Amino acid sequence: MAAITAPATTPRRRGGQHRLHGWHIFWIAVAVLYFVVPLYSLLQFSFEGRYAGHAAGFHWFLSVFDDPAFRSSFWLSVQIALETVLVSNLLLVPTAFWVHLRLPKLRPVMDFVSVLPFVVPPIVLIVGIIPFLQPFTFIYSRPEVLPLIYVVFALPFLYRSLDAGLRAIDLKTLSEASANLGSSTFGTLVRVVLPNLRQAIISGSLLTVAIGMGEFTISSLLSFNTFPVYIFTVGQSQAYEAAALSVISLLIIWGLMIGLFLIGRGGRTSIAMGATR
Amino acid sequence: MARVQLQGLHKEFGNVVALDKLDLDVAAGEFVSLLGPSGCGKTTALRCVAGFELPDAGEVLVDGKDVLGLPANKRNMGMVFQAYSLFPNMTAQQNVEFSMRIRRRPRSERAKRALDLLELVGLGRQAERYPRQLSGGQQQRVALARALALEPAVLLLDEPLSALDAKVRVQLREEVRRIQLELGITTLYVTHDQEEALSVSDRVAVLSEGRIEQIGTPAEVYTHPKTSFVASFVGTVNRAEVTVVSAGDQTVRWGPAVINLQRDLPGHHDGDAVTLYLRPEDVTLGTSRNGTIPSGGLFNGRVTSITFLGPVTRVSVRTDVGPVVADLSSAEALELSIDCEVSVDIAPGSLRALAG
Repeated sequence: MAAITAPATTPRRRGGQHRLHGWHIFWIAVAVLYFVVPLYSLLQFSFEGRYAGHAAGFHWFLSVFDDPAFRSSFWLSVQIALETVLVSNLLLVPTAFWVHLRLPKLRPVMDFVSVLPFVVPPIVLIVGIIPFLQPFTFIYSRPEVLPLIYVVFALPFLYRSLDAGLRAIDLKTLSEASANLGSSTFGTLVRVVLPNLRQAIISGSLLTVAIGMGEFTISSLLSFNTFPVYIFTVGQSQAYEAAALSVISLLIIWGLMIGLFLIGRGGRTSIAMGATR
Repeated sequence: MARVQLQGLHKEFGNVVALDKLDLDVAAGEFVSLLGPSGCGKTTALRCVAGFELPDAGEVLVDGKDVLGLPANKRNMGMVFQAYSLFPNMTAQQNVEFSMRIRRRPRSERAKRALDLLELVGLGRQAERYPRQLSGGQQQRVALARALALEPAVLLLDEPLSALDAKVRVQLREEVRRIQLELGITTLYVTHDQEEALSVSDRVAVLSEGRIEQIGTPAEVYTHPKTSFVASFVGTVNRAEVTVVSAGDQTVRWGPAVINLQRDLPGHHDGDAVTLYLRPEDVTLGTSRNGTIPSGGLFNGRVTSITFLGPVTRVSVRTDVGPVVADLSSAEALELSIDCEVSVDIAPGSLRALAG
């Protein structure tokens, strides 16, 4: 993120900016409680209950790790998330490159298209996609269908991240310099553009992983036992295990976000998550 | 070294004619500058040669072979761009090695060549630096080394110094010329800076509205401009609205003064009104002493502005025949002040008629 330099201020304004009044503290406390209390409750609940006459402690966590259904659903979600990243990047990196380099007039159209998944609910999307995919039985009945659908949900995050990355470099000049030095367009993409888009690709891909790991509606409707579906199923009958699973799920997502933050902070180009304007 | 010919090169962008059947012949090893104002077509011409623009008509010949059918990556031309174009993810050495890596040259060969070229541009010690660790001038030097890596047939320079500060610009243009002479590479140089073009080129082509107004050695273009556009774009000129007194005697009247041009005025007859041109350095000013207006000049005037330019000082004088600009040595100009009265004279034979 770009650093913002504060303008010179008078002592009175500076004092006004830094002094916390009672109402400020009150609203900050409300906001913190709003987010922290449910998380704390979840965490506490995951350690509660009794097992074999003793306090449960980490028992619910250990019990879900022992469950083969946990392992299979978790690895299925990891596999789907990675496939989503692969398909999304294969589709969107060349598209974004080509639009920026050769079809700049299409950029507003791509901007519009890229935010559509934000406004179209997943249930609407899947109702439209199911009739289209049903004839393709070889893929419709397999979990590999999910990455093909998740690409649409990843579009806003990955495309906008790539768009910001491409705006940060002088793509036209770099591409022409590369061509002048004997490189083909594909060679330019691989040797020049991709290394300079590394952070944008990683940022967008981490967000895509989060989508792939966390999506529930579509995998449930298509009857695939992904990790979120497994959490939901466990929650129907085993409240403590469901709380432990939710904690695990949150830790995985937070781990991804911290990774994203560290990569963004260490980068030469600032990549805004999601919208860039 | 290769000969480059542009024949009838024509290019339009919408309704705008960028190149108007442009012809240019650059001899092998020659350094030719394309000089002109923004929008005159100089960069478009260069981009047609490089392969980044396809002309609507015409040919680009390199050693007699039309290269328009070849994509940019097959033309074997080195180019230095106006914008900084080094690949940010590569060191200076890796940038220079880039084209050799594509051609799969052995690692040791390309490393040696890259270091030799970085030495040539004076950056042997900065080989491991990334572009962000180099100044603008250093980046353009690396870009020049990179453009030369594959021993291209032609070197194309698209205003490579325009983003640099004045002192670095002067240093670097001299280095570009030194390297060009050392390697003997055919070079096309695009610039809007007349001083730059005049100082480094074998020949200068002055462009306007997609056409070459004049091409010649820097001295020819400066001292014998063929059109009013060239006269006014290359250097500064005074315009003199004169009347032909006697075409046979080569005399004209400029205000109260009758002047012998010492050259013919072809196509003009006695009594014709003609616009003539005069360089500021051919104007001399006589200063008044003790309140007396000096005699011996063509006419008198009053100083309206004095601009110190270092070794010379530019003095504007308001006269009855219009404003006249004179370039004096700064020592001479010390005697002048705003609003002082001066006599205006010109060097013999310095008034010229132009085609435009």
